[in-house]
Amino acid sequence: MTAPEVDTAERLLIEAAQKDPSRFAEIYENNFHHVYAYIARRVGDRDVAEDLTSDVFHKALAGLPRFEWRGVPFVAWLLRIASNAIIDRAKRAAHETGIANLDEPFDASPQELDELEKRARLFKLVERLPADQRKVIELRFGEEKSIREVANQLARSEGAVKQLQFRALQNLRAQLNVGSGETNG
Amino acid sequence: MANGSLIEQLDQAVEAILANPEAPLPRASARIAAELSIAVELRNLPRADFKARLRSDLERTTGMTAQAPTKFREGFHTITPYLVVNDAVGVIDFIKQAFGAQEMFRTGTAGGWHAEVKIGDSMVMLGGSGGTPNPTSIHLYVKDADAVYESALQAGGVSLHGPVDQPYGDREASVEDPAGNQWYIATHKATGHVPEGLRTVTPFLHPIGAPQMIDFLKRAFGAEELSRAESPDGVVHHATVKIGDSMVEMGEAHGPWQPMPTTFYLYVDDVDAWYRRALEAGATSRAEPTDQAYGDRVGGVADPFDNVWYLGSPIKGA
Repeated sequence: MTAPEVDTAERLLIEAAQKDPSRFAEIYENNFHHVYAYIARRVGDRDVAEDLTSDVFHKALAGLPRFEWRGVPFVAWLLRIASNAIIDRAKRAAHETGIANLDEPFDASPQELDELEKRARLFKLVERLPADQRKVIELRFGEEKSIREVANQLARSEGAVKQLQFRALQNLRAQLNVGSGETNG
Repeated sequence: MANGSLIEQLDQAVEAILANPEAPLPRASARIAAELSIAVELRNLPRADFKARLRSDLERTTGMTAQAPTKFREGFHTITPYLVVNDAVGVIDFIKQAFGAQEMFRTGTAGGWHAEVKIGDSMVMLGGSGGTPNPTSIHLYVKDADAVYESALQAGGVSLHGPVDQPYGDREASVEDPAGNQWYIATHKATGHVPEGLRTVTPFLHPIGAPQMIDFLKRAFGAEELSRAESPDGVVHHATVKIGDSMVEMGEAHGPWQPMPTTFYLYVDDVDAWYRRALEAGATSRAEPTDQAYGDRVGGVADPFDNVWYLGSPIKGA
């Protein structure tokens, strides 16, 4: 789809979700990785990133009836909620610890949005890896488990897990190249 | 061997990246530089079950679950497991002898064969075309698990384990039939037969990544998550999801219970629409929707866990 077509599809989806909240599932699927990646990069702690991501989507769901389409991608609205949630949390932490770092801009620059898009795409590609490769990547990176722990959990040898990790990363590289080729082509 | 060395080198670099995210990128062969930069990005990969858990939370808030439509041939439900086997006669005989099944339909063509049997209140389809068999696992609720287990062995089944009382209230035994399908034969002691909401036959999956499987079924087929029992580290021991009027059970693959990708026949009201939705959810096409001579419009997709779903609906106006 071209960019205007994407805009139209997104606008129709949001309007549908405003009438029927069950359609929020699709909005969630389309935007989850963008929001999580945006937050995770800023807070660097998985538990905090999960709390904030959860907060963002619950707020978005509650605020959806009031959302007005103004031609800006929906993800920008979500990132604004995320940005506010991060600031609120930082303020609370500063109040508790006396350490403040609130000068850092929270708005995403075009360059950062571009990087975010790439990262979200990578995370979506992980979901589409063959099941055994995907599981190794999720455990190794998402859960930060050692090769031995992954091997024990999957009842595979450590060598087999390393090979799956290797193949998975090769697969992701190939998929990313395919996508960027299409974009440039 | 060179590849083996790259595998080791990449793993050591990944280990270094995970151990100290702030450190500069480890030195490694240029042949794996691209993979290494992907590994750096993956440090922020969310935990595997978080996305599915949050979605479930949101669903509870809004009821954002779509229901698969229910419109299909008489005697069938939304989901019918399809056993892909080569020995038609042998498997049908086994199911009849072991489980008292009733053969409802059988046809053979140059391209293969297809049969339908009824076990208790459930239909099971079988078919094959001489290709690779695709054994699956089925949860079978009967009135007397011990007796059915014995008759399954007499019919040529091989015991996986004899009848035992399970902590979740079932008396259960498991048998593998001559085609390799696994039958978990159970009697639910509280009800004396089938647990509430289930039927005689329920497909049982052992995916690698049960939370992701549940997530996929929600997105692709509007599944509703009815139960999920998981350990503190997020491993799903047992989950039940509902699609239309039918259930699918699953538990994370472990030990001897490894994935047995299954084929399903899924009755829907609009094959083309559900086919597109499944592809958008991450499935790959096996067959574009077409009208079949036997009266159904059918499209096929494979999910990311290698299960195959044939989406069918009676041809409009037929």
